[in-house]
Amino acid sequence: MSADRVLYDWTPDVRSYAVRLGLSLMGVECRMQAVDMDLPAPHHADGLLAGECPPVLECAGVRLTRPGTILHYIARQPDVARAWLDPAHEWAILNWLDFGVSALDTLASARGAALATAMPVPPATGALDAVLRRMEDHMAVRAMDGHDWFAAPAASIADVMLFVVFALSADVGVERDTCPALRRWARGLRALPGFAVMPGVPDYA
Amino acid sequence: MERWHSVSVLSDIRPGEVAGVRIDGHEVVLWREDTPAASLHAWEDRCPHRGMRLSFGFVRGDAMGCLYHGWQFGAAGRCRLIPAHPQVRVPASIHVRAYGVREHAGLAWVNMEGTDGFPDHATHWPDDVQPVRSVHVRRGATQLRQAIGLEAVDGMAWRGSVGLAVHEPVAGQAMLHVVCARSGEPAPTPVALSHWASRLRDAVESGNPTATIMGELA
Repeated sequence: MSADRVLYDWTPDVRSYAVRLGLSLMGVECRMQAVDMDLPAPHHADGLLAGECPPVLECAGVRLTRPGTILHYIARQPDVARAWLDPAHEWAILNWLDFGVSALDTLASARGAALATAMPVPPATGALDAVLRRMEDHMAVRAMDGHDWFAAPAASIADVMLFVVFALSADVGVERDTCPALRRWARGLRALPGFAVMPGVPDYA
Repeated sequence: MERWHSVSVLSDIRPGEVAGVRIDGHEVVLWREDTPAASLHAWEDRCPHRGMRLSFGFVRGDAMGCLYHGWQFGAAGRCRLIPAHPQVRVPASIHVRAYGVREHAGLAWVNMEGTDGFPDHATHWPDDVQPVRSVHVRRGATQLRQAIGLEAVDGMAWRGSVGLAVHEPVAGQAMLHVVCARSGEPAPTPVALSHWASRLRDAVESGNPTATIMGELA
């Protein structure tokens, strides 16, 4: 089955990490095609179309290029536990997933300015701060109501997307002590079977 | 009271958990043992080996382990294990600086200058307290204290059953810690208090009057 799925993956890219993490947590195997977008276009990777940027998932004639859609698609596969897109909480999950995708775009742009340029500059983090504050307020109240996860009784694809936003916001200078509810929630996600790391997201912390 | 800083609500630091906090720009690791005693520790957030933040590390029983090379530190911050040299008896000179720490009124209090001087008036605060949450505010501690009517020397402001404390992780930013006494006057639910704290934060940050919001607690 894994041979039928191909993920074009760029290791340091935050959106690619969200997909890798989701695949790993959901226990889905996939053939990985490494891409280096820092190289000139002809050397990116065989099979990547002009103008495409990882992550790109190719599966059974479907070609998906947005991380939220890819996680949604994977969660709907018959061999994946239903909790990742719990039908009883589907709208809340998809709502937070969509929030997370926008937040990840915000993070990617700030992080790119901070790390991935010849002349890094401290990025403006106002938009990211607003996103994290909304997440923090939400999870503070969720915890008081006895919930561990953003949108459902168990971890969902929304938690995967939002975890990447929180975990890598440290790269643009967001300190963990300003988001205690998110720190607790992130600790829970790290403890799930299949959790995967990337540069900037170690095993602990 | 100025030397004792309220750095966290106790519900955010459970057995086996590690949290990095800052006090006036100084990085402090707060961690709780994963043992029946579950003692709380506050140390300088820096491994003496390579300077790694210990708050990135992990708790193993009654020891704190550094993420970088696994050095483990036990009571009073003394290094007890260097995994690359397990047979070595670690000299006492290898240790992390330990700070004074107290658990009181639902909050963790840290004194970076020693363990004494916890004020007598704090003993009159309620014992049976439910921690609610800590809220980040993008204004200095002085401005936040003014908004809630708290003198720095008092440590906490009580409005009915609700207790409020403030500390400054770094200049220009503050954390508002909210707790609620379980006995005594009826109090809002924790969820209602969380929303209240968010509204207070938004008012303080935008420079709007806070008297009406504070009046909700009376």
